[in-house]
Amino acid sequence: MTGGEQPARYRVTFELPTGETRTVEAGGEEYVLTAGRRAGLELPSRCEVGWDLACAVRVLSGELDHTDARRYYDQDREAGYALICRAKPRSDLRLRTHQATAMRDHRYAHHLPTPRAV
Amino acid sequence: MSETSQPTGAVAPGDVNRRVGVEVIRERGVDVEALIEKLIDNAAAEFASTYYYYSILRMYLAGHEDYKEICEDARLEDRQHYELILPRIYELGGSLPYSLHEFADRAGCPAAYLPGTDNGAHPPAEPPPAAEILTVLLESERCAIRSWQAICDICAGKDPRTYDLAARILNEEIEHEAWFIELLAMERDGQVRPSGHFRRGAPGEAPYSRNRPFAHGGS
Repeated sequence: MTGGEQPARYRVTFELPTGETRTVEAGGEEYVLTAGRRAGLELPSRCEVGWDLACAVRVLSGELDHTDARRYYDQDREAGYALICRAKPRSDLRLRTHQATAMRDHRYAHHLPTPRAV
Repeated sequence: MSETSQPTGAVAPGDVNRRVGVEVIRERGVDVEALIEKLIDNAAAEFASTYYYYSILRMYLAGHEDYKEICEDARLEDRQHYELILPRIYELGGSLPYSLHEFADRAGCPAAYLPGTDNGAHPPAEPPPAAEILTVLLESERCAIRSWQAICDICAGKDPRTYDLAARILNEEIEHEAWFIELLAMERDGQVRPSGHFRRGAPGEAPYSRNRPFAHGGS
């Protein structure tokens, strides 16, 4: 970003297990979980370093940056899973929350290491 | 009226296949199988993510003997956490994985790799700065706090035994975080962030998490 540019802002839409949909604004340099919680959403997490799967979501549309996640595989991205505690938005997003069990099963299916508890 | 032998709850008299100590917490709403999985993940983090890797981190703190001693306390206390929670896994009907590799892979927190090793792939080309080692230690403790707090949240008001064990561990993880904040703040930023640290009576004393008789003061 140069002097006069505004920092990137994105719209993140969460599909919650209740059927409710909430859209919040997230900065390009903040984690998606942080933005969701700032808006008052009750989103699960545990390790908060992009390692366990408590914060897992399904990416319905959009791009995220997982550079800061401690364990995130190409297969996770290809299957459409994200760990939002350590993922930054790179576009507007639509995410389905509470996907820890599904992401764990995906890791098992691909013989990838994973915490078992979700 | 004569007394009769009446089964109570889910466990019949003489039944050795089920445990009242498990069923009572299930009746209070604990998902016992899910709890076991979380405890195994946490035990793996204590043993494989911190105890093992802290052993390496302390070897690279030469010249910082105060840091080394405190790292050693945290290392030994993390092993004690593993020892403390291990029996509870079996009491609840669980088991450690029969492969250490599988155990390490399922740890609930990342391995505390020595900086400069590409996640343990090779030795460091240069001795890592103390601030980088302290950062690894600090972030490891933070993950541990979140993991044991989660166990306390699940067990509060339902499973006093697991709650007690997790709370004892949590007490020490919170102390460890404060220690490493104090050391990192000074080492990296020249800032004072007191932790309230007192030297342990013996290395890895584990004042909260070591099993010993309360009535006699322990030894």
